[in-house]
Amino acid sequence: MMTAGRRGPCRACMFFRDDPASLERSLPGLAALSSAHGASRSDDGTCARHDRYVAASASCASFAPLVPAAR
Amino acid sequence: MSEIAVGTPAQDAGRVPARAGAFWRKDDWWAVAIGLGLIVLAYALFAGGSSLAWLAVIPAKWTTADQLGAHFAANWPRYVAQFALWLVLASAALTALGYRLRDTVPAFAFLYLLSVAIFALGQWASAVRYNLEPPLVALVIGLLIANLNLLPRGLDAGFRVEFYIKLGVVLLGATLPFTLIVWAGPVAMFQASIVSVVTFAVIFFVARALGLDPRFAAVLGVGGAVCGVSAAIAIAAAVGARKQDAPIVISIVILWAILMIFALPFAAGWLALPAGVGGAWIGTSEFADAAGFAAAQAYGEIAAKLPGAPAGGVDQSVAAFTLMKVVGRDVWIGIWAIVLSIVAATRWEPTGIDSRASAGDIWRRFPKFVIGFLLASIFITLVAQDVGHAQFGKAATTDLVTPIKNLRTWAFAFGFLSIGLTTRLRDLAGVGGRPLLAFSSGVVVNVVLGFVLSVLVFGGYWARLGQ
Repeated sequence: MMTAGRRGPCRACMFFRDDPASLERSLPGLAALSSAHGASRSDDGTCARHDRYVAASASCASFAPLVPAAR
Repeated sequence: MSEIAVGTPAQDAGRVPARAGAFWRKDDWWAVAIGLGLIVLAYALFAGGSSLAWLAVIPAKWTTADQLGAHFAANWPRYVAQFALWLVLASAALTALGYRLRDTVPAFAFLYLLSVAIFALGQWASAVRYNLEPPLVALVIGLLIANLNLLPRGLDAGFRVEFYIKLGVVLLGATLPFTLIVWAGPVAMFQASIVSVVTFAVIFFVARALGLDPRFAAVLGVGGAVCGVSAAIAIAAAVGARKQDAPIVISIVILWAILMIFALPFAAGWLALPAGVGGAWIGTSEFADAAGFAAAQAYGEIAAKLPGAPAGGVDQSVAAFTLMKVVGRDVWIGIWAIVLSIVAATRWEPTGIDSRASAGDIWRRFPKFVIGFLLASIFITLVAQDVGHAQFGKAATTDLVTPIKNLRTWAFAFGFLSIGLTTRLRDLAGVGGRPLLAFSSGVVVNVVLGFVLSVLVFGGYWARLGQ
């Protein structure tokens, strides 16, 4: 599952969650005075591996591609 | 670095990498498209000798229930047509954002009917005597409905605060001459920058002194200094904050923002501040756009009733707020993200995640509805030049600007009511003593500094806004 040594952006990682509805459920109150659909959020999301909020363009050594490369 | 052991996330099966910057998935662009579309439609009708006024109906001032009844009896077809227009526009946008029609249609119908009732109540001749300013009434009623669990949660799909407020801001642009933005914008940016930097510094350093993690302190700081909840989640990603930090900041921002919706207008009214000055103070001292617009509109209505108040109280207050909050504070979120991500990457304990922002973040995080606001202002200014100012002052005010202003008032009304309808206090994360103390210390400095700059330093400037 892990692809040590090959880093990709969080947006292409299986641990990345950026669905707006899920984000609003996991951040109570977000929709009351803001929105997960707002431009200022850009494409940020949460990392289930590190349990942190991360930008879609971030990267780390635990990257695991969401769509396995074709052989 | 700590990592959470997770298995294969089944719920993400089939997920494909998101297309970065998919504009139709952002409520900003929908607000821009719908807002500018309505403005162009209003102009096309005006240029053709007609007007959007028939569709942009609002409840008339009334003293007796008979007068109110007569208004609705005479104008119900206009309300039905207006409801249909809003329903189509909101449904198109919300469906594109991923919500189901079976949720958004009943939600919007409820939102519209309740907005009509609150709007009509606000037009009662005695409303101001009982402090029944529509934004405040909408907030209280919405909070009661949400917290007494009177509606199914699925209806939240139609209560999209940000979408309605951003749409209102774009429409607001068409009621502000671009020359006014150019004249007042630099002062707003200067004043807002001072308050933002000082407020951030106070919250951040108090939070650090209380032993909070620097990333958490930074998210708290921007929540108070820039644009509330939106800034908090943007900076949480930029610095790689822990997932449990953002809900705490969101809770604190909401609690303070709602308190300020009531406190700032009544404090400004007690001090008898001119509408523009009160709007500027609210713009420096509210934490979220939606809450701030509610406070600014409420204060405009209060200021209009003050002895000797000039006409246009609501317009002045909302214009000053917009310049201070939207132009002066919101647009800098990308810069804050870059600076804080660099500080996080170079000065704070590593998290194992490389999240340093790039110059592209300035555009990616830029609140795009501001572009619609500026385009609307430029458009209406060019129209005024083309028609000629004398002619514009007569016909266009009634047949072009007033209908757009009425639609703006409706969009804001939907937003104010949605704040209450989506704020469930029991859902909010526990705030904790230290984060609350750090944030509150910034609030005190923010409110005092905002008052000094808005009233004592630039008071004369904001009092003349739009006159």
